[in-house]
Amino acid sequence: MSITSFGFLLMICAGVSLYYILPKSWQWVELLVLSLIFYCMSAAPYTFVYILISTAAAYISTRFARGKGAETDRGRKLAACLGVGAVLINVGLWFVFKGKGLWMPFFGEAAVMPYLAALGMGYYTLQVIGYILDCYWGSIEPQKNPLKLLLFVCFFPQMITGPISRYSQLEALYEKHPLSYENITFGAQRILWGFFKKLVLAERVGAVVNAIWEMQTQEAVFLWIALLLYPIQMYADFSGCMDIVIGAAECFGIKLPENFNNPFFARSIQEFWQRWHITLGTWAKDYVLYPLLKSERMVRLGSSAKKKFGKRYGKFISTALGMLVLWLVMGIWHGGVKYILGVSLWYWALLMLGDLCAPGLKKVTRLLKVHEDSFSWRLLQSIRTYLIYAVGAVFFRAETVGGALAFFKNMLVMTVNGNLHLENLFNKSLLQLGLNISDWIVILISVLLLVTAAVLREKDGYARAWVARQILPFRWFVWLGFLVAVVICGKYGEQYNAVNFIYQIF
Amino acid sequence: MTREEVYERLTGVFRDVFDDESIEITDGTTADDIEDWDSFEHINLVVAVEEEFSFKIPMGKVVTMKNVGEMVDIILDMGK
Repeated sequence: MSITSFGFLLMICAGVSLYYILPKSWQWVELLVLSLIFYCMSAAPYTFVYILISTAAAYISTRFARGKGAETDRGRKLAACLGVGAVLINVGLWFVFKGKGLWMPFFGEAAVMPYLAALGMGYYTLQVIGYILDCYWGSIEPQKNPLKLLLFVCFFPQMITGPISRYSQLEALYEKHPLSYENITFGAQRILWGFFKKLVLAERVGAVVNAIWEMQTQEAVFLWIALLLYPIQMYADFSGCMDIVIGAAECFGIKLPENFNNPFFARSIQEFWQRWHITLGTWAKDYVLYPLLKSERMVRLGSSAKKKFGKRYGKFISTALGMLVLWLVMGIWHGGVKYILGVSLWYWALLMLGDLCAPGLKKVTRLLKVHEDSFSWRLLQSIRTYLIYAVGAVFFRAETVGGALAFFKNMLVMTVNGNLHLENLFNKSLLQLGLNISDWIVILISVLLLVTAAVLREKDGYARAWVARQILPFRWFVWLGFLVAVVICGKYGEQYNAVNFIYQIF
Repeated sequence: MTREEVYERLTGVFRDVFDDESIEITDGTTADDIEDWDSFEHINLVVAVEEEFSFKIPMGKVVTMKNVGEMVDIILDMGK
């Protein structure tokens, strides 16, 4: 079941109605039942067995580790073994079924995987590992009820694409929620905003990007258009999906963590990754980077590097190593060699280069008397960040590493050879990319609306909170406007068949 | 170890990690108050604190401490 389908909306409406009628102590049970129904309607039901195995491993290991059995030396050793085993079971299941892009190429054409991966396997696996580690580190108490733990793992709105929540962020799942007008209206508005991003903007931009990737063009301008538009498609698609997910959960009184914070306002690539897919970055930082840099071996390495190369470069070496591991984990999580190149190594290299050049650049900006807080300087930095991200995103769009490299080669060679053909921007060539003039106007207006919402959020917290403070007619004008826009301009229904969310494949 | 003694040694750690001799810390000091205190410097700071006070801060506390006051509480707690 797609979360942009009518069936999903119907499920939310029926689910929310029942949720506030039921005795409050039964609310979490309803969420579990809804999650199971959603799963069976969205994926092969047998794949739910993997989720049960992951949950059971987490439940048994953490209950033992924090129980009386782990108070003796032998018990502590057994608890440690169980914890490592539970993490390995989760990683192993993910690797076999979801990480097959990493191992299947080594077996050539003979490699066949007849079994499907579980829905949202990449996302819930990280949640379960985080839960196990949090219990072992003493940050949280293990959940005593295995069914409640199962709900944490398979809570239906976030099953498809996250966000990747910590257990402590989802304890509201088990709390009693009284009927709240604010939760339901804010949730519904957020869902509407997500539908707008996905069905009105992402689908249209996606049509252009796909058309360019599929044509054999000899004019570089089209490849530049694909390069520059794809981040917009990615953002509208993934953040639109997040809006629907977070809005759906909010209708039930559950606040999920945010996954985006105006990423294209970032002034550096480091800041970009603090604003884009936030929960993945936070997970990798908390459960990979921090334990690694805190380990005895890395502390010793950092100390000897400082003695040998001085404080600055010694620190840089341990930073570079820690970040390399973090980025490799993020790339591997995406499940393919192209992601290790396009996500891990590309951004890692640029981040490290930025770190090395930062003092020099600071001197240059001082010398040139650049006002670092001026609008033009901030804009320039944001454009630079956008371009860096756009280059890495090509590896997401291309089928293979070779496909991505061929894209860059064609684009640059044609540009250098004078085959840019900028005149195509002003004649009717753009109308041969699957969209008519009104579609392009819709894209333009949608992007302007997204920028407006982003500016409001940057200045005022949530844009919808700003709308909520306006007079009644204005509020109705805004939300009815979005509803009409989705109904009239949205790409949905039998003749359109909106494609799956890009991040759904992880 | 008194709270004042912890503060004296901790101030030295902060000044060394962030390369800024003018840093003054209080219970309410957070990452927002020190320019270079980002998520990466946070772990460098934790490692430097561990070296200074010769004990390991539990991983569970590393990600949950909100300000310097909580850090001092952890140090005092671990030093008991």
